[in-house]
Amino acid sequence: MTGQGTTDLTVPENAEELRRTVTRLFGRSLHIRTLDTGSCAACEQEIRLLAAPHYDLNRLGFFFTPAPRHADLLMVTGPMVRAFEDAARKTYDAIPDPKIVVATGACALGGVYQPDAFTHGGVGGTLPVDVWIPGCPPSPLALLQGLLVAVGRLAEKVKSLDFSLNGTPT
Amino acid sequence: MPLWTLRGLRRGVVTTRYPARPDPSAGLLPTPPAFRPGALTRDLAERLATVCPSRALARDGDVLVFDAGACTACGRCRAEAPEATASSGEFELAATARAHLIKRIPVRPA
Repeated sequence: MTGQGTTDLTVPENAEELRRTVTRLFGRSLHIRTLDTGSCAACEQEIRLLAAPHYDLNRLGFFFTPAPRHADLLMVTGPMVRAFEDAARKTYDAIPDPKIVVATGACALGGVYQPDAFTHGGVGGTLPVDVWIPGCPPSPLALLQGLLVAVGRLAEKVKSLDFSLNGTPT
Repeated sequence: MPLWTLRGLRRGVVTTRYPARPDPSAGLLPTPPAFRPGALTRDLAERLATVCPSRALARDGDVLVFDAGACTACGRCRAEAPEATASSGEFELAATARAHLIKRIPVRPA
């Protein structure tokens, strides 16, 4: 995402326009910074597997980066322990605009831990989340689908699911 | 030189589609439950809400509220009520809004 002179990097106000800009800019070259806000590391195991030959996220144009300033997407795991809140905000602020935040795993989505003295019980209250990936932990396939949804290359599937079986009761 | 390098040079696109082919391990993944509305009573919905360790299930009147985002696919609801639940088989659950993950399943009034 370095300035090429010809690429317009100003951030549009309109949300729909922003989404299109993000897709255009990030569609096939997106750098990911992972952020562990107190997870059990199961999510990290699955995220690590994304780079393994079997899943190979590089073929889809995604790359991991160790520096938030080089990142376009923040992948947050864990229930956001209060001790980490400052660091999470700083990491978010360090990522250049436009940026995407992906909450990863049931803890980050607010499922496992209740808010208490030690944790917020989810990342939604601290960072503006764009895409939510459920799972405990989400499988690498689910993570890949989430990343592709985040850059607009796949349509969201879960909105149309109703989790009810229409067959007769057995 | 792999074929995709040449293809990439020709088309200017070096990335591939997802998934390139169906993943053989996809069927083995634990997935959130799906519910049979006809077999769900108020009592059963209440029991499922109690048994869920991650607050993914709650009863709201004649509706079972299922939060797929909070579900850890632990299988306790399926063990509690095998007649009313089954594995949904869905694991690609990424959502662009938290509310998209909250499902309301009708419950048979008791």
